[in-house]
Amino acid sequence: MNITINNKTVEVSGQKPLIEELRQIGYDIPSLCYDANAKHQASCMVCMVMNVANGQMIPSCSTFPTEGMQIEVDSEEVLSMRRMSIELLLSDHRADCEAPCTIVCPSKIDAAQVLLHYDRGQMNEAFSLLSSVVDVNNIPCADCKAPCEKACRRGTIDKGVSIRQIMMEIASMKDAKSVDAHSQANLSKDVFASKLGRYTDAEKEWLKEVYSQPSKCLHCACEGRDKCKLRECATKAQIKSPRYGVSSRQVVKEQIHVKDNLYFEPAKCIRCGLCVYNSQDGFTFKHRGFDMQVVIPEDSKKNVDEKIADICPTGALFIQ
Amino acid sequence: MTDCKDCKLNSPEEAKLAMERRADAIIDRVGTSRDVIIPLLQAIQQEFNYLPSDALNRVYERTDIDRAQMISVSSFYSQFRMVPYGKHTIKVCVGTACHVKGANNVYDAFKRELAIADDSITTDDQQYSIEKVACLGCCALAPVVQIDNNIYGHVQPGKVREVLDEFEEFCKNASQADGDDDNSNGPVQGEVRLGMENCCKASGTAEVYDAVVEACKALGINVKIKPISCVGACNQVPLIDVASPDGNIVRYPNIKPQEVKEILLHHFKPASRLRRLRNAILNQIDTFHTDQTWDNILFTSEKDRTQKINSFLKGQYRISTEGFGHLNPLDIDEYINFGGFEALKKVLAENNRQNVIDEVLKSGIRGRGGGGFPTGRKWQMVAANASDAKYVICNGDEGDPGAFMDRILLESYPLRVIEGMIIAAFAVGASEGVFYIRAEYPQAVIRIRKALDMCRQKGLLGNNICDSGFSFDIRVFEGAGAFVCGEETALIASIEGKRGFPHLRPPYPAQSGLFDKPTLINNVETLSQISYIIRKGADEYVKVGTEGSRGTKVFALAGKVNHGGLIEVPMGTTLRQIVEEIGGGIEGGEALKAVQTGGPSGGCIPAELCDAEVDFDALNKMGAIMGSGGLVVLSESSCMVDVARYFLNFTSEESCGKCTFCRVGIRRMLDILDKLVTGKAKMEDLDRLEELANSIKKSALCGLGKTAPNPVLSTLRYFRNEYEEHVNGICRTGSCKHMVKLEITDDCVGCTKCARSCPSEAIEYTPYKKHVINTDACTQCGLCIDECDYDAIKKTPSMERTPSKL
Repeated sequence: MNITINNKTVEVSGQKPLIEELRQIGYDIPSLCYDANAKHQASCMVCMVMNVANGQMIPSCSTFPTEGMQIEVDSEEVLSMRRMSIELLLSDHRADCEAPCTIVCPSKIDAAQVLLHYDRGQMNEAFSLLSSVVDVNNIPCADCKAPCEKACRRGTIDKGVSIRQIMMEIASMKDAKSVDAHSQANLSKDVFASKLGRYTDAEKEWLKEVYSQPSKCLHCACEGRDKCKLRECATKAQIKSPRYGVSSRQVVKEQIHVKDNLYFEPAKCIRCGLCVYNSQDGFTFKHRGFDMQVVIPEDSKKNVDEKIADICPTGALFIQ
Repeated sequence: MTDCKDCKLNSPEEAKLAMERRADAIIDRVGTSRDVIIPLLQAIQQEFNYLPSDALNRVYERTDIDRAQMISVSSFYSQFRMVPYGKHTIKVCVGTACHVKGANNVYDAFKRELAIADDSITTDDQQYSIEKVACLGCCALAPVVQIDNNIYGHVQPGKVREVLDEFEEFCKNASQADGDDDNSNGPVQGEVRLGMENCCKASGTAEVYDAVVEACKALGINVKIKPISCVGACNQVPLIDVASPDGNIVRYPNIKPQEVKEILLHHFKPASRLRRLRNAILNQIDTFHTDQTWDNILFTSEKDRTQKINSFLKGQYRISTEGFGHLNPLDIDEYINFGGFEALKKVLAENNRQNVIDEVLKSGIRGRGGGGFPTGRKWQMVAANASDAKYVICNGDEGDPGAFMDRILLESYPLRVIEGMIIAAFAVGASEGVFYIRAEYPQAVIRIRKALDMCRQKGLLGNNICDSGFSFDIRVFEGAGAFVCGEETALIASIEGKRGFPHLRPPYPAQSGLFDKPTLINNVETLSQISYIIRKGADEYVKVGTEGSRGTKVFALAGKVNHGGLIEVPMGTTLRQIVEEIGGGIEGGEALKAVQTGGPSGGCIPAELCDAEVDFDALNKMGAIMGSGGLVVLSESSCMVDVARYFLNFTSEESCGKCTFCRVGIRRMLDILDKLVTGKAKMEDLDRLEELANSIKKSALCGLGKTAPNPVLSTLRYFRNEYEEHVNGICRTGSCKHMVKLEITDDCVGCTKCARSCPSEAIEYTPYKKHVINTDACTQCGLCIDECDYDAIKKTPSMERTPSKL
């Protein structure tokens, strides 16, 4: 069948949703809630195109082409609407892509990652990561004014993490083995970085209690940022600081252990429902409207598979 | 501890077992498949007053319903609750009409009166629970409160104690006047007709009914007391019609129980002369000694009163409400004598489906649910799809706050709606029908159930209807409280036992609807017009209405209008005619500011455009929509920003949450409106608001989202100056509490009435001196204003700023 894309008539099979047809032709259509190999329902609207007939935006992931259909896929209006949908999602996404300490480090140490290894007792990994960036025998932290400690979010709760001291402690390890350890941080100015905003008083109390490991680090960096499609879309849409302030009713940094190494962090969830539609008596929606959440009942945790993390478009579902 | 039989029986284990047994009985009755979850939960809640976890565990063990589905569904619908409620539930209606008349103050007043803590909804003694509900559909009586099954109209914050006393009194002598009248012996001398809808009962018809029964007994006259369908003149109730045997009907609006005897004596002869004499004397004494009777006789003549109601009824045209005022809703023989089921029999006798569809097409009728899609085309689409099973659904999920047309049609003309549905089913070839009625309309559910039974008994429903070989039956599905389920795909999802998530169309329900079968969904009002079209012919039908919108439209007229009520007018009537002629103008002699049509999906039409003829296309052009037909009249004292925020708050609570623009976008719009009504907004916020609104209109997935910005867009279009004033900290109407304060003027004589009435102790008790309001403690409930006899308390601006630079 023939459809018109940006004023050009194109032949398509008509068997696949628009997004697949468009991608096949070579258009770069972003999407979050769509996965070709999984059950899905239109939600994020990031893949929208304009139906010229009535000026309405339609999700290309769930619309099948019809004979004579006319669409616009990258007009100024379409792009700005896609951008708005991403900005709206970001306003309900309480998370840091990168940790403040890593961002500000003058010596480019991924302090957040080192601290994560440190708290998990992975001392060899911590040492190796540190030594891949700096000379451990002459560590710059010794004379540094420690902007990392000033940026540390823990400081807004009680006392910032003594990052410098911990770095020096790791650097001075005598029996450390060299292992494979690398940083996930992407600090390029062209890459979007979500910012968390402020903790509420209740959250501060809660965080103080839960994050009580040796370093007291809150582990701000997102563990799913490598695969995060939301970040990718925001980067492509060249969003620097979203227009709508973050306000969400989700508790920040609440990480729910689902099963084995699978964790769920609701504050990062964009409610696309992929995990809901693709688990049997597993993840489910609760409440409605802006208060709608994705939850997992305690008795249903056993029904989910670790692989579900792969289809989550954000870092809300991740493998630790 | 000693052995105690009773203690043993009441041990936790015993109680749990007993609960499980009760749950089991419900499961046995309702079923075990996943699609019965909503009726199952409704039955459990009815039994236990909430959803106890032990009962739910039984559901997991014994049915196909799992935890994921349970959480998903039970948390989506507002009807379900996981915590026990008090013995009685107080529902405060916050529909549009009630909102503009101060429903929130009423809610606060109940909470204060019952000493319910801020974070709680139930009294400490577990007697009362209180909640806000979207709309009870009694808009003409606003503000309205429902306690259990009793409805109270015109509830002001100061009358809260009175209402509770009345309810407690009712509980004590819970004898009900409702039900069938049993006539005593002797020939029937005539008929007394009264509307016994919920809203009529709320405004005193129940007492009048009692008075009629009593008076008949006392006077020894034998008249038939007949509950009838809604007359629509909600502002004139209690209202009775007295029909003499000679066919004369005299209408008495606004009567009081004390007047009943007099009226009856006027029309009917008491049994014996002696009794008559005695009654005449007694009656005279009554007349002279009750001031209520005096009141009416002296100040409003009967003629005056009747005239008022006649002007209300003039200009109306009856199709959906044909036979108003004399048809008993549940008298099937009377309905048949009146021409009921003629259309159905005609259709079945002709036995030509295409003819029926052609007739409906020719009539030009468009769906009354809001969108205005041509009904005939919908029928054609469903009929064209070959399938082993097809469904017809009657959409009675009227969720618009400020609308009650469907409720009245279902309660007053159940048989007409059913007839329309059977004809539709025949035309499209469906074998099963579902009545989807929202749970907030219990009376409608009861009446439709009764009416369906009657139809089955008469062979009008079920196997081989009227020996035509056509079989069709209808079941009732009670909605569980979700506005979005008025959207057809969400409604279908809810019948299937899922969350009310709409899905993208196509596929349309006509192709793949309920259980993936072709499904016809029509609104209550649409179906109620079908029998007329078939009986009188499309040629007759097209004579009514305008070119693009044929027939009549039923509206729920409410808000700040003198005579609110249910009206049916030909398409093309102007809004001004409706407000001025039928509605009798604006309350309190104020000027008309705007008319809000179409509820949360519609818009505000300013007074200067109210001369436009009302039909689908004209309203769309003005930025509003027909919607299902709520007309809320707004006067000078209504704040347009507050009205816009009210609707947006409603849609944000009712949004299903599926797509980004509706879930988050509407929330962000609400953020800006919240800033506006608290005086924190900046001028550029108005542009952001408009940008968001236009984007949501284009990009939301379903009708709810796409139309949700309409109230904001239309008010921005016609009342932008008011938005700008709010940016500058001014709300001229005093509706936005943050921008006004209450002040006592020099007219105060120091009578202390205000100080005594103030529930938050914001006014110091200073006899004979001018009183002063402590603004910090004042909650602006307005009780003192009502109490003050000297009109000495005024709302004044509290945060006016110099206009900010543009």
